Amino acid sequence: MKAANFEHHEPETIEEAVSLLESLDEPTILAGGQSLIPMLRFRLARPDTVIDLNGLTELEYIREDDGHLKIGALARHVDVEESAIIDRNYGSFADAAPLIADPQIRNQGTVAGSIAQSDPKGDWGTVLLAHDGEVVAQGPDGERTIPAKDFFLLPYDNMLGEDELITEIRVPESGSNEGSAYHKLKRKVGDYAMAGSAARVRLDGGVIEDADVALTAVDITNIAVDEAAEELEGERPSADLFREAGKIAAEQSNPESDEHGSAAYKRNMVRVLTQRALADATERATQDGPAADFGTDQLTPEGMAAEGD
Amino acid sequence: MTKKEISLTINGTEHELEVEPRKLLVHAIREDLDLTGTHIGCDTGNCGACTVYMDGQAVKSCLTFAVQADGSEITTVEGMEDHPDAGMGESDLHPIQEGFREMHGLQCGYCTPGMIMSARALLEENPDPTEEEIRESISGNLCRCTGYQNIVKAIQYAADVMNGREPPESPVEHGEAAEPEAASDGGTPMCEADDCCMDVDTDFEPPGGDHK
Ligand SMILES: Cc1cc2nc3c(=O)[nH]c(=O)nc-3n(C[C@H](O)[C@H](O)[C@H](O)COP(=O)(O)OP(=O)(O)OC[C@H]3O[C@@H](n4cnc5c(N)ncnc54)[C@H](O)[C@@H]3O)c2cc1C
Ligand code: FES
Ligand code: FES
Repeated sequence: MKAANFEHHEPETIEEAVSLLESLDEPTILAGGQSLIPMLRFRLARPDTVIDLNGLTELEYIREDDGHLKIGALARHVDVEESAIIDRNYGSFADAAPLIADPQIRNQGTVAGSIAQSDPKGDWGTVLLAHDGEVVAQGPDGERTIPAKDFFLLPYDNMLGEDELITEIRVPESGSNEGSAYHKLKRKVGDYAMAGSAARVRLDGGVIEDADVALTAVDITNIAVDEAAEELEGERPSADLFREAGKIAAEQSNPESDEHGSAAYKRNMVRVLTQRALADATERATQDGPAADFGTDQLTPEGMAAEGD
Repeated sequence: MTKKEISLTINGTEHELEVEPRKLLVHAIREDLDLTGTHIGCDTGNCGACTVYMDGQAVKSCLTFAVQADGSEITTVEGMEDHPDAGMGESDLHPIQEGFREMHGLQCGYCTPGMIMSARALLEENPDPTEEEIRESISGNLCRCTGYQNIVKAIQYAADVMNGREPPESPVEHGEAAEPEAASDGGTPMCEADDCCMDVDTDFEPPGGDHK
């Protein structure tokens, strides 16, 4: 099906984009188009005007500065995949990028667009939550920063105002004693997650000083599991500890049964994926500690699978 | 709604078009420019049949508005024969196209133009890929009938040709022997290919016993 007709605007600066957002009647922002174009074609969205951000070349960046990793709103999934900074220090970003959709879609789709889309099955929101990140938005009243933990409200709904655009996604700079990882379960290549888990740990003298666990596709938004983080903080990393944190993540998740699997199955997968993500994150945080030390207990369902459908 | 003037350089030729902003790039290519080699297989961005090579990358032309492609350089399957690497193999075709023909990389051919454009994007960036990298590069392209084995072999064939290696022998016989001749008299058709009908293991019994 064809999209309904619309007026196409191509601002060249952020200011121009903001003034268009303010002056036009209910405009929609177009970034990579990989979610929006199908929505326009199915007429799930029918804007009269579209503001195309692709001319804002000033937003094409991934850099570390001011104590943050900063991802400009026009950085594509493939830019994350190929970024040396990310490869070095931001394990969960590096894990997630190649697991999103397929090469063509990764060439076009943006991280910021994915956050704005706020699909509970999207991967970037989970990674952002696990890094305790922020969304930088620009509107008529200037710039504001929204913590990821407050950003997601409902499926496809978030804190962004109608006249605001995301200019940047950022997370605190990752130190050498910090590691993160993302594990995603999907039926086949190119699919959205059935379940996904991101974990980040920062170690201090062998103890977990700071941690976050976040989940994909098992609630109405991407969610952070604060209870799991509390369990981890102040403890020494161990297989037992990660098993416990995995159980807590599973208990806090709220998946629905669908054609891909029952709620009980998905909850059990949350448990397993969280353990694996924690083990990888810890391995990356310690210079030379082998992951095997934090074994992941992949197969024993510990009663969860027996819960039935 | 106002139309927009755009310019697309497709297969080396510049085209000036006037399009509605809602027009997808794939529709501009197929309907306005009559280049119907680029296919449409789905409504959802899943199948990759519409893949084109735009400004150095494979993109799905059904997930791009034509106005977004203004000023860009695009190759479609029709342009592959004019690529500088065309003719490196045994024919005038591009080695990727030749690979699909020689290695039986297509049956109905619906997915083939998209597969070829994804393979081109891979080989431009990574001229001698591993099998794993080939599989990854076509992971956004669905084939519903050939199966992926021969498509992977077709791309390996192209990499062989482009790296100056001898490509594997084609399982497909060209020329006279390609026509099965013996069938007209009701006898067993034989194509005379070395590893084809001549070699059928006649002792083979299907599992599960009697077939009626
Ligand atoms: C077949 C297929 C498979 C996919 N698989 C996955 C997957 O496995 N995991 C995953 O996470 N995603 C997946 N996606 C979605 C993909 O990652 C999209 O790229 C992403 O969701 C949206 O990014 P975009 O830049 O394409 O945004 P667009 O499609 O341009 O926009 C999406 C929404 O965000 C808004 N928006 C975009 N940019 C901004 C901004 N800077 N400020 C404010 N609002 C903005 C738009 O108005 C629109 O509402 C898939 C998509 C397809 C078609
Ligand atoms: S037609 Fe473009 S992906 Fe199917
Ligand atoms: S050859 Fe028929 S779909 Fe691929």
